[in-house]
Amino acid sequence: MIPVMQAFRLSGSRVLEVDLHGDAVRAAHGAMIAYTGDVAFKSAGMGGGDGLRAALKRRATGESVSLMHCSGHGTVYFAKDAMEVLLVELAGDTLKVESEQLLALSDKLSTDVAFAGLRGMSSGQGLFTTTVTGYGTAALLSSGGPPIALGVSPQFPLVVDPDAFIASQGRLNQTFVTDVSWRNLIGESSGEAFSLRFDGHGVVYIQPEER
Amino acid sequence: MPFEQVNGKVVSVPVAPGREVLARRGAMLAYTGQVQFAPVRASAGGMGGMAGRMMAGEQVQMMVAQGQGTVHYGYRGMYLTIIEVGQMGPLTVEADRLVAHDAGLQATLVFLGSQGGIRGAVRGAVSGQGMFTTQLHGYGTAVVLSHGGTIALPVQPGQTTTVDPQAFVAHVGQVNADIALNASWRDAVGRGSGEAIQLKMTGNGTVYVQASEQKI
Repeated sequence: MIPVMQAFRLSGSRVLEVDLHGDAVRAAHGAMIAYTGDVAFKSAGMGGGDGLRAALKRRATGESVSLMHCSGHGTVYFAKDAMEVLLVELAGDTLKVESEQLLALSDKLSTDVAFAGLRGMSSGQGLFTTTVTGYGTAALLSSGGPPIALGVSPQFPLVVDPDAFIASQGRLNQTFVTDVSWRNLIGESSGEAFSLRFDGHGVVYIQPEER
Repeated sequence: MPFEQVNGKVVSVPVAPGREVLARRGAMLAYTGQVQFAPVRASAGGMGGMAGRMMAGEQVQMMVAQGQGTVHYGYRGMYLTIIEVGQMGPLTVEADRLVAHDAGLQATLVFLGSQGGIRGAVRGAVSGQGMFTTQLHGYGTAVVLSHGGTIALPVQPGQTTTVDPQAFVAHVGQVNADIALNASWRDAVGRGSGEAIQLKMTGNGTVYVQASEQKI
């Protein structure tokens, strides 16, 4: 039996439902709220199930993504802190996501750590983001309300607040924009001194709440 | 008496003579008509119930709405779920998650230890829930609180539904909840999956689970 693609379903807007038929899914540590049938949960290990190299990179960079491996037969329900769930299909492309906004992944997807540029310094998210590649579905989390998908094309670059950023998908070039002037020094800043700029083709997901 | 969901966080309840509504004190948002609110001193369980409540630390103060009109209830911006209690069986819910219910429903305090022996008591202690929960018997409607809304999962004979104790809200029907320790050596060394303690639901009914692991 070869499942074509694991079915990720939404139950309401804040609960993710995944059917398991002897296969597996990886999800954020402790995100299971209920299941039916016979499902086993175990930590996916330091590397999040992606081998020693990923594990070492995570150790070194501090971009920790703690995943657990869920396998068996039945239906599993995942949710985290009443955040809205967003499903993103991946067909061989790359998704860059904040590790704490990741809820679940098809088992066939692999994760790695990538240098995210200087933006991490302001958002406090670390200088590295998690990249997800392969074929399958990823479930992301949006806090404060439903996520917003913004398209990026060469004529229309996009600038977002790093604290509202969830994920980006496509061929995007990410740069860090600073708008620091003498006003910041005397405490008269607008509060938007650091931003993320995206150029290229793709989609950027943001949430209606700043971290 | 129809309880009506105004939106995810507010319910409206009609009140009439002989159709009183019990609610958590302070949960009234607005009302129309002639409605009086009075604190409820002795709980529905009588003296025994009250003593039990004091012992259990379940000190959720209730009030009764009587008169003629419509009352809107809500609590701290949390999500509300309307649950019908009827021939399916009693509703079991932690007292601090219960916002409002028909006064016709009989509320009793259940010591978990009496349900599942020492395991029941352990369940209460381990899952961080009270060792005592409130059970509502009879026919009527109840409103429960959740963080992020609830999903209803069926519990049927021959199929177990397992729930994270922190996400558990309530169950209705002939449902038996038993703690299952799913810990392995991995948990001992801090490499567990975070799902070591689970509640196994068996029987016939429905279990309500919230989309979060936060307490009220």
